[in-house]
Amino acid sequence: MPESIVNILDIAIGGLLLGGIYALIAMGMSLQYGVARVLNFSHGEFIMVGAFSTLTLYTVVGINPLICLVIIGPVIFLIGFLLHRTLFHQLSLRAPNADAYAASSILASFGLLFIIQNLALLGWGADYQAYTYLNFGVSIGGAIFSANKLVILGFSIGIGLIFYIFLARTRTGKGIRAAAQDPATASLMGVNINRVLALCFGFGAAMAGIAGVLYSMRIPLNPAMGTQYTIIAIIVIVLGGLGSIPGAFIGGLILGIIGEVVTSIDPSLSMAAYYFIFMLLLLVRPKGIFGK
Amino acid sequence: MLEVSNLNAFYGNIHVLWDISFTVKEAEIFALIGANGAGKSTLLRAISGLLLPASGTITFLGQRIDHLSSNEIVELGLSHIPEGRKLFTEMSVRENLEMGAYTKPAWVQKAETLKWVYEIFPILKEREKQLASTLSGGEQQMLAMGRGLMSRPKLCIIDEPSNGLAPRLVLEVFKVIKSLRDQDITILLVEQNVKHTLETADRACVLENGRLALDGTCQQLLDSEHIRKAYLGL
Repeated sequence: MPESIVNILDIAIGGLLLGGIYALIAMGMSLQYGVARVLNFSHGEFIMVGAFSTLTLYTVVGINPLICLVIIGPVIFLIGFLLHRTLFHQLSLRAPNADAYAASSILASFGLLFIIQNLALLGWGADYQAYTYLNFGVSIGGAIFSANKLVILGFSIGIGLIFYIFLARTRTGKGIRAAAQDPATASLMGVNINRVLALCFGFGAAMAGIAGVLYSMRIPLNPAMGTQYTIIAIIVIVLGGLGSIPGAFIGGLILGIIGEVVTSIDPSLSMAAYYFIFMLLLLVRPKGIFGK
Repeated sequence: MLEVSNLNAFYGNIHVLWDISFTVKEAEIFALIGANGAGKSTLLRAISGLLLPASGTITFLGQRIDHLSSNEIVELGLSHIPEGRKLFTEMSVRENLEMGAYTKPAWVQKAETLKWVYEIFPILKEREKQLASTLSGGEQQMLAMGRGLMSRPKLCIIDEPSNGLAPRLVLEVFKVIKSLRDQDITILLVEQNVKHTLETADRACVLENGRLALDGTCQQLLDSEHIRKAYLGL
């Protein structure tokens, strides 16, 4: 194949790989914001914790990172669930109205950001750390991709699809959708709202944690790494439409491709490009792609 | 079946319900009438657990429910069909009905209940796959009622079902309400359409400024001078 086509394919697939991670992170944040009504600024810290836990389990205990997925995912789900039950639920009981809760929950999530980051600094230190796993090349149409990139993409898309089917088909999934639209009426139907909100917060945290497990195969880890992913997740859910799970998924893929295109021009420009798109969106189409 | 006694409730600092007491008997249609802002919807919200009463008790089938949450109350067999339909507009007709059967016991028998609801409202079966937001006003009211029946309630609270409907559909709605009573479902009906309501219900009470002004059989109320003047314009 001519080199230019290989290049385009390289960028397209590379963008999807990056986008898969963004999609996972953004779906998690969309659940927490769209259903549980918490704009969680500590979202990225759950990615960091998932990533570091994998590093420790793999390099110290010798557990395969893909096995780590089924350990760390449920543990972080439980942490998220309990965090909502204790911290955020208590805040909502004390808030006189929805606006006051929005403010107090954002402040609490900032608090969590610093607490988790500092604990990670104590536990894992401030230095960059990395490990290698599945780091051999696989050729697709002439372009070479490392195997771990493909595994990451497969898992991100798989988890996105499974979660979509869960929301569309199961009793609890329908309850979550109903609660997202109208919590009071959903509770009249028999939905335990407090439980559903905690579930969604837990699922959101677990998606971040799983993204961390997957992405730790690719990037060097550091306790401060999470924040930029929180920002990216916010940009993606605005791009996809606030509260829309499919929007978060597709928005993530789109931003990943944009990121890869910009990186191919100049790697240092990618965050600047994301912010540019973010501000453009807020001005031109604030409701995003799937927003109503 | 349902006993409300000395109920007081507030919205913020405003005292909305004052010492309300009444009893709904099994397999009757009990109507609650009153002007806009008299506190009817607040009273219903307190019964179904959306609003915590300040004092007083609510007893359903011999059990205190005034401190239970809505999802626990519906599980006991009390279904609240809210004012303004409150459909899940981003879900299909079928999914809205399934949401009505969300409680575990109702979920198990939802296929069977669905057949029964489709018999009562055949149009819902035709519209099954459509989004709830695409239905006409009358169809939306039918869906709201059908969804409320999906939990297999013993007592059904219906808030303003005739609101915004054409006269022909109003008659239809009242006919369905009567047929539900004939299937031994107790109805607590809130309506502004006083004439139709008093002709349909068995007993009724009148709420004025958050207090109970009158109660009795519908015939007694139809004969009352106050009702005839203030609500029927006679």
